[in-house]
Amino acid sequence: MTISIILVFLIGLAGGLAVGAGFVAFLVVLGVIPRLTQLTKTMKMIQLYEWAVVIGAVGGTVGSLRDPILDTSAFITVPIGLAAGIFIGLLAAGLTEALNVFPILAKRVRIEDRIVILIMAIVIGKIIGSLFQWVYFIDQ
Amino acid sequence: MENTVYIRMRNRVQVNPTESVFLKDIAQIISREEIHSKLEKLPVHRVTPEDNNIIIIDVMVVIGMITRFFPNVEVQAVGPTQTIIEVIIKKKPVSISLFLMVWFLLFIGSAITIMNFHEDVSMRAVHQRIYTIITGKQESKPLLLQIPYSFGLGLGMILFFNHFFKKRINEEPSPLEVEMFKYQQSLDQYVIINENKESMKRLDDD
Repeated sequence: MTISIILVFLIGLAGGLAVGAGFVAFLVVLGVIPRLTQLTKTMKMIQLYEWAVVIGAVGGTVGSLRDPILDTSAFITVPIGLAAGIFIGLLAAGLTEALNVFPILAKRVRIEDRIVILIMAIVIGKIIGSLFQWVYFIDQ
Repeated sequence: MENTVYIRMRNRVQVNPTESVFLKDIAQIISREEIHSKLEKLPVHRVTPEDNNIIIIDVMVVIGMITRFFPNVEVQAVGPTQTIIEVIIKKKPVSISLFLMVWFLLFIGSAITIMNFHEDVSMRAVHQRIYTIITGKQESKPLLLQIPYSFGLGLGMILFFNHFFKKRINEEPSPLEVEMFKYQQSLDQYVIINENKESMKRLDDD
């Protein structure tokens, strides 16, 4: 009995360690945090940002493993949804695949100086695709 | 010392077809006053239609030329060892239909990929769960969460590319500009090695 408890504890700890390390590595590779500190000029606070990520990850784990109910107003989901969207947007933009496509595409179509228009195609595509999915697609 | 000429080759130079390229076009020069203007007017290359659109001028060629015209001068080369001359052959206008096609492709492609991503990570179930955690109610379409999420998605991408702050709150280039620069640099590196006959020596096996 004791052995199985220790074993389960160790397996849980090991799994958490692997997933946590992988999650941080993923964030580091995509460079989301450096990008945000660069935009806001808050390099000095980077340690606090690390804590934000860690606390967020642990909070998310608690939220998905337990079943907490906060019973508050539905309007609190608006800022949460917005923040979640911005974060996913940063991730999507940080994917190197997307980043590497632009220089080549811009050279082919010969619009090096108006590359913003191509970025807008992707950005608007993401917004419309997401809206379409939530409002219409899932009902079909 | 007085007879030393310092030259520094420029990285990239654009010229028109059938134009002569002078030394001052492809390099920065420091020399004694008397020969300075003569050096500047030294013709290095004459662009011909056979050149296509990329010409590489190696610094060795330039040094050879200078020492031929000014035998008692010592040449010191600083910086890049070659200049890429880009011949601008009549700028073709951007084809609107091609552009629209690419735009449409990117638009549809990114819409589909975000939907695939959402399905892949069960984003819908996660949204429903978050909604239930906060409000205590079950909701199959928590649009109050999902519509801000969708707009946030676009906002996040714009933030990443830094086009939102067109005024540029800092001097640092955006990731896209860095990426464009890296791509251009690899292209330059390629033509420097491949278009420059001096930098490769092959065995003639035919």
